[in-house]
Amino acid sequence: MDQLNSSGPLAEDAFSWLEVDRRRCNRCGICVDMCPMDVLHFGAQGHPYMRYRDDCWYCDVCVFVCPRQAITMKELPYLIR
Amino acid sequence: MYYVKDTDLVVIGAGAAGAMAAIYARRTDPKLRVTVLDKSKMETSGAAGRGMDALNTMAIPPRSQPEDVVEVLTKVTEGVLDQRVAYAFGQRCPQVVKDLEEIMGRAPGDLFPVDAEGNYVLYYLHPINKPLLLPMDGEEMKRALAQAVRRTGAEVFDRTPALRILSQDGRVAGVLAFNIRSGDYFYFKTKAVCLTTGAAGRMGLASSGYLAGTYEFPGCTGDGYAMAYQAGAELVNMECFQANTLLKDHQGPSCGYVAAPRGAYTVNPWGEKTWSHGYSSGDSKMGVWKRFTQGRGPLYLKMDHLPEEMIQIIEKIQWGNERTSRGLFHRRRGQDYRQGRSVELGFAEEIGVCGGHSSSGVLSDVHGATNLAGLYVAGDVDGGLPHSYLGGALAMGGVIGEEAARYAGGGAHAPQRQGLRAWLRKQADAFEAPLRRERGLPTSLVEYKARTRIQYYLKPPKNPAFMESAVWWMERMRAEDLPQIKAQDFHDLLKVQEIASILTVGEMMARASLFRDESRWGYQHWRADIPYKKPQWERAWVVIKKGEAGMELARRKAPKHQWDFPTAMEYAYPKLEFDVGAPFVKGPNWKNPERDSWMKEHLDQQGMATPRRFLPEED
Repeated sequence: MDQLNSSGPLAEDAFSWLEVDRRRCNRCGICVDMCPMDVLHFGAQGHPYMRYRDDCWYCDVCVFVCPRQAITMKELPYLIR
Repeated sequence: MYYVKDTDLVVIGAGAAGAMAAIYARRTDPKLRVTVLDKSKMETSGAAGRGMDALNTMAIPPRSQPEDVVEVLTKVTEGVLDQRVAYAFGQRCPQVVKDLEEIMGRAPGDLFPVDAEGNYVLYYLHPINKPLLLPMDGEEMKRALAQAVRRTGAEVFDRTPALRILSQDGRVAGVLAFNIRSGDYFYFKTKAVCLTTGAAGRMGLASSGYLAGTYEFPGCTGDGYAMAYQAGAELVNMECFQANTLLKDHQGPSCGYVAAPRGAYTVNPWGEKTWSHGYSSGDSKMGVWKRFTQGRGPLYLKMDHLPEEMIQIIEKIQWGNERTSRGLFHRRRGQDYRQGRSVELGFAEEIGVCGGHSSSGVLSDVHGATNLAGLYVAGDVDGGLPHSYLGGALAMGGVIGEEAARYAGGGAHAPQRQGLRAWLRKQADAFEAPLRRERGLPTSLVEYKARTRIQYYLKPPKNPAFMESAVWWMERMRAEDLPQIKAQDFHDLLKVQEIASILTVGEMMARASLFRDESRWGYQHWRADIPYKKPQWERAWVVIKKGEAGMELARRKAPKHQWDFPTAMEYAYPKLEFDVGAPFVKGPNWKNPERDSWMKEHLDQQGMATPRRFLPEED
């Protein structure tokens, strides 16, 4: 259960349904700032990752606001897709 | 860190209603110090963070009038409303259109459709013969509203949910808040609060099992309902549940308000429709329940008969507005609107309460004022204006901004609390206890348990035993589970507060359902033990208020109706007399000993201990 709906912060390499293209991402942080559920945070290299993955409402704000089109939503949350 | 700040007005929750409240407060009194708190990020937060495709119930002359809004709200609430509030909302609708066009920089005919005569186009949807649905191309609405709020000079605190509204002597005194990214605490001394925190939308758990997979924005955990209750405000209609027909698993809207006015309808695999109109009220939900209970589901949104042009229009609206991940959801399942059974709908998967979609919330008057001086409500947390959706949030958000500004700018004084710093430290200490705990229950487990219990026990049809079990679970989890939660960090700590709100709202839902000893609003408050309306409950609210010994409930008549519109919908409660089958016939020898002397002997010898036989031996 705690694996299906995680509590607390996840590691940067945890399963994720967002793909961040690190060649495009310039670590501006707009997606981290705009994520309504506080899902996205900066990773060790300054790129966004789903720190609180299972709070994601799959609203795709992050994809929409990224000025460099660096984020792709590959899937919806597993329990939903 | 602790910060104590002086302000005049605090807006709690910067969704559509809160944003309008802040804009109108500063417009009414430019000198007023306005503070805006948002649990999330104002630009993208709330139910309309990715915009909206319509204002569902609007009086826009010449096509529809304020009286039409009163008529439909009187019908869908079956008379349990203050018609004056509905009329005030109806009168304000044209102002909402003007405000949005101005704030979003969109001309008439662009944001909202206009016909050749220059009149706004409205669609039929509701169970009255008036067009009230105003389509909107409003994906960017929330970001535009946020920009307008920031331009007013209001002080905005993002990621800073309110934890408590303090009241003293029946008046608002202050607001305690917490920043989930910095861990800082803020106490705002204030005369007035605009409470615009949205629905209690993270209540019953959907069958997908995904906690954040809710119809409502998952940040809307009913905190406003719980905070208002704790501060002494009155709540109404908590027994009138929101039970939607939703896009199965995705939990987005069933698309009915976009697709139905454009020719789509809901059918089962036999092609049978569920109900005559497309509006989400208790009668249509009763129709859906009947189809499912007869085994004549699932339901689908039928669009394959529509012309290609219309399907493309529906796709553009559905995939580019409100819940924009719908396109990806359908593509990954190989679904196409041009094929039958492409959009499967689930029913009543997440029982909740909401003033905007239903009628539940803090009781308010035509000014959005509550029984607590200085506390104003609008939007989904507002129970004074039922079934008003986004249009009502925008309209009454503006109203409470004006009213609260006048109140705060007038002679009102915020009561002063003695020993504030010490009190603040004590509050923070108690709030952070789950962080200090070495080990304990994960927040996700506790939330999952609370929401599965809510979904099981509260889902209609209701009866007293189910509702009493729900109360028992809410009380038990508050007493046993909340004190055992281990929070991982500040983000997780907020969950503890949210779970507490969920339990409080769940208890209100159960107690109000027990108290209203009748059935009303179709499926929404269907008591299987009393499947009919009672005269004493006509035009009457169940009012919940905090008492010394817990929740106090009372029946109160809403103000006398000024307009004599129908106060009933067209459904009927079913007579449930299922044949359980012919029972097995027991023969004459089918008889067991009256006494169990064999097991009694074991009991006497062993007591309750189980004999430890055939156990593995140690090496």
